[in-house]
Amino acid sequence: MIVPVRCFTCGKVIGDKWEEFANRVKEGEDAGRVLDDLGLTRYCCRRMLLSHVEIIDDVIEFFETGKRKQFKPP
Amino acid sequence: MVLEEKVADEVEECSDPHKALRMDPNQQAWSRNERFMKTKILHKNDVSLRLLIEGTNSAFMNTLRRIMLSEVPSMAIDDIVIIENSSIIQDEFLAHRIGLIPLRTDLDTYNLPEDCSCKSEFGCNLCRVSLALEVEAEDHRITVYSGDFKSDNPAIIPVSLKIPLAKLAPEQKIRLEAYARLGKGKDHARWQPVSAVAYKFVPIISVDQNLCDSCGDCVKVCPKNILIKTGNKIEIRNINNCTLCRDCVHACQKDPKAIDVTWDKNSFILNIESTGALTPERILHEALKILNGKLTEFLEKAGKEIEKFKV
Repeated sequence: MIVPVRCFTCGKVIGDKWEEFANRVKEGEDAGRVLDDLGLTRYCCRRMLLSHVEIIDDVIEFFETGKRKQFKPP
Repeated sequence: MVLEEKVADEVEECSDPHKALRMDPNQQAWSRNERFMKTKILHKNDVSLRLLIEGTNSAFMNTLRRIMLSEVPSMAIDDIVIIENSSIIQDEFLAHRIGLIPLRTDLDTYNLPEDCSCKSEFGCNLCRVSLALEVEAEDHRITVYSGDFKSDNPAIIPVSLKIPLAKLAPEQKIRLEAYARLGKGKDHARWQPVSAVAYKFVPIISVDQNLCDSCGDCVKVCPKNILIKTGNKIEIRNINNCTLCRDCVHACQKDPKAIDVTWDKNSFILNIESTGALTPERILHEALKILNGKLTEFLEKAGKEIEKFKV
């Protein structure tokens, strides 16, 4: 859904690093290099960002469409 | 033999009976190395500390590690009153995320709720901080961050202000009041001041130059790139990075092996990684204080029991 606040295994805060990670990888940077830059050295923290799918943006879309329909005059 | 004589001399010199007991040369468990503790900082920044500790044993290191994990208090949000939440993130989900935010902790001002003089279920200004969150998305989608919290005490704020808590579609709203308090890691992981705290033995790598033909097999296999081949020699650099995997020993095709990896069982590398709630030095300091308190308490209790037995 939304990025976890902490690494499931070690408890390091990783939530605040997601946006930078996602943007930089989208711009074509190497994911491993970005993770190194962000200070995620252990593989438990690295997999948190690598394997995350930010689904909330797609879910919110349903809510917005529903709202728009609701408020349209018949 | 020379070593034992020296130890015996030191025992005589020592007036403290406890020290003399530890220095008993007949006790094999206490090696010479173990009697004098030495520490050195290998690496330090705001959130992590790497220490080399010589002359101790793994029991002591593990005690320290476990105290840092489970007994050093730090601050986290514990109670939440949700006034309004129309986001697609459910109340429980949101509360859980908010609980996991590490807060900058002030151990000198705040008390643990169980030790606080107020004895109140709801807490007082000395054991509780209230933080308010009030966000509304007006005409476009927004992300709610940990930095949106308004704290009663400006010193107690989230360590990172950029942790996303929820996303709001237009017209959605979150209003809540959160209460932070000190707690211990043994009650819930959100009160752990450290994320990873670990120790390992100090590695010792020895290459037998007579047996080694510098084929380079061990260099290729080392996951930490500690071994390098220079000319006809295998050299070792950054030995503290060695994970003691012994892959280099297995890779060596000589019989007997030309390379060996062992470790000093009385020297450790302790790595403390803080969540940012407290500085790593403070965490170590608090852990030692707690250990000292426990031992003092034990000594008092045991002393009383022994007194009873005498009578």
